Amino acid sequence: MAIIKVDQLKKAFDKQDVVKGLSFELTPGKCVALLGPNGAGKTTTLRMLSGLLKQTSGSVTFEGMKENGDIRAYIGYLPQYPVFHNWMTGKEFLVYVGQLAKLTKAEATSRADELLERVGISDAGNRRIGKYSGGMKQRLGIAQAMIHKPMLIMLDEPVSSLDPIGRREVLTLMEELKEQTTILFSTHILSDAEEVSDDLLLMSQGEIVESGSIQELREKHQTSKIHLAFRGEVDTYYEALKHLNSISESAMEKGEIQLLVDNIDQARVDILSLAAKENWPLTKFEISRVSLEELFMKVVKS
Amino acid sequence: MQWRTIFAKEMSEDWRNFKWVWVPLVFILIAIMDPITTYFLPKILDSVGGMPDGAVFEMPEVSPVDAIMMSLTELSMFGVLVTVVISMGVISGERKSGVAELVLVKPVGYFTYISSKWAGKLLLVLTSYIIGMLVSWYYVNILFGEITFSDFMSLLFFYGLWLVLVITITIFYNTLFKVPGVVGAVSIGTIIVMSILNQIFSHKLTWFPNSLSSHIGEMLTTGEISGDLWGTSVVIIILVIVLLVSSLFTFRGKEMAG
Repeated sequence: MAIIKVDQLKKAFDKQDVVKGLSFELTPGKCVALLGPNGAGKTTTLRMLSGLLKQTSGSVTFEGMKENGDIRAYIGYLPQYPVFHNWMTGKEFLVYVGQLAKLTKAEATSRADELLERVGISDAGNRRIGKYSGGMKQRLGIAQAMIHKPMLIMLDEPVSSLDPIGRREVLTLMEELKEQTTILFSTHILSDAEEVSDDLLLMSQGEIVESGSIQELREKHQTSKIHLAFRGEVDTYYEALKHLNSISESAMEKGEIQLLVDNIDQARVDILSLAAKENWPLTKFEISRVSLEELFMKVVKS
Repeated sequence: MQWRTIFAKEMSEDWRNFKWVWVPLVFILIAIMDPITTYFLPKILDSVGGMPDGAVFEMPEVSPVDAIMMSLTELSMFGVLVTVVISMGVISGERKSGVAELVLVKPVGYFTYISSKWAGKLLLVLTSYIIGMLVSWYYVNILFGEITFSDFMSLLFFYGLWLVLVITITIFYNTLFKVPGVVGAVSIGTIIVMSILNQIFSHKLTWFPNSLSSHIGEMLTTGEISGDLWGTSVVIIILVIVLLVSSLFTFRGKEMAG
């Protein structure tokens, strides 16, 4: 069962398609990362899911929502740069948005205390938000998204603007939240996605180019990489290697040759026999797995 | 519930940034400035050396009605300006800064959001206006002569409608534009255009909103509430309702982010 179903979601600004027909589903209890470079349409997608932007076409269906229900009652959302009423204290703000989410004042107050404790800023609860640091604001932002116990929380680049310590703390917090609710968060940093998410949605230029669990993605794109080094100039060897059938991509970098291959056994035989036949001065032959980072780059560029 | 939450937030915001202190003070100043300087003008002239010998300068006789109408004239300029300035950012400011993104992602009805903010500014401006006019009434009674309580109450009620319209116009533009300065400029512009129209077509448009103060002046002189005054008031009330409903529609069509 899916918690949210997105079907052919499109958004155009001034006739330019920013999001070009996304379709995906989120499973309850999972933490999903929407991963993609800047400008891929991640923020626009999250804003459409939260109802802040209207889609040009396509649909977002929330399971368990009543007919004509307000999707906003079931979701929590943290924008990339959350802005608060700086004259309020952190606790006042939480109580305020809690009441806006239809909690009673008493409920909102106890929930606010609980969340301030939870996100680790209970000491600052009675200080004005204007005096908060970036990390504290980000945590307050997560707290406000959680205030009404939503079924899905969406975080837009929750750690991108934080220093390493703040980032670690927020990631740990997300690990904890994962136990209670479904999380969809966007990021352009692969290691963050790898660390907390169960599933990845890889987005590029308004489209989902790849999706699945990290394990699945690794297996699916199990290409290997061969590094070759030679004594002397490599150009001639490079020209010869480029045309081998077993090699899908090749590059020359810092006097070494890098080859991407799908079938490693075949490629090894091809290269080594060629080297033996032509008597190449080979100084290095190394096989490595393609990292997820490189996969990310490859998928995004293609 | 949500309506009261936002209304209460507006109240405490205006309290903490001292609007509840300075707006009433400014309204008092605007309301009493003209009647008081008029009263003391001869004395002021004397104290700076008086008129040259032989110059004859008749001070026009100022009636209590003239005096209190001076307050309304000043309010129509500076009071309106202050009202627009303090209301021009209520919604547009929140959208511009991005707070609206956090607030409107909660299940808040758009009309709840707009009307609670409208009511918040209404309370602040009308309270300030009433205080200002009470002080003005007090001085006019002492310095120029009596204006009866019932006349004063009618004046207070009818002119109050004009300020309600000014706030509603500003709130309407708040839902249309995202920059408070633009909201302010367009609101003032609209009011100026309305007053020009009123001057050109005053003989035709007797119920035009801007003719309100002249009808109020007649009421104070004759002691009777004319049909035109009622007519103008009804026009204003209808305009307020239309603008509020239109605000809802323009706001619904807006996207809250980006």
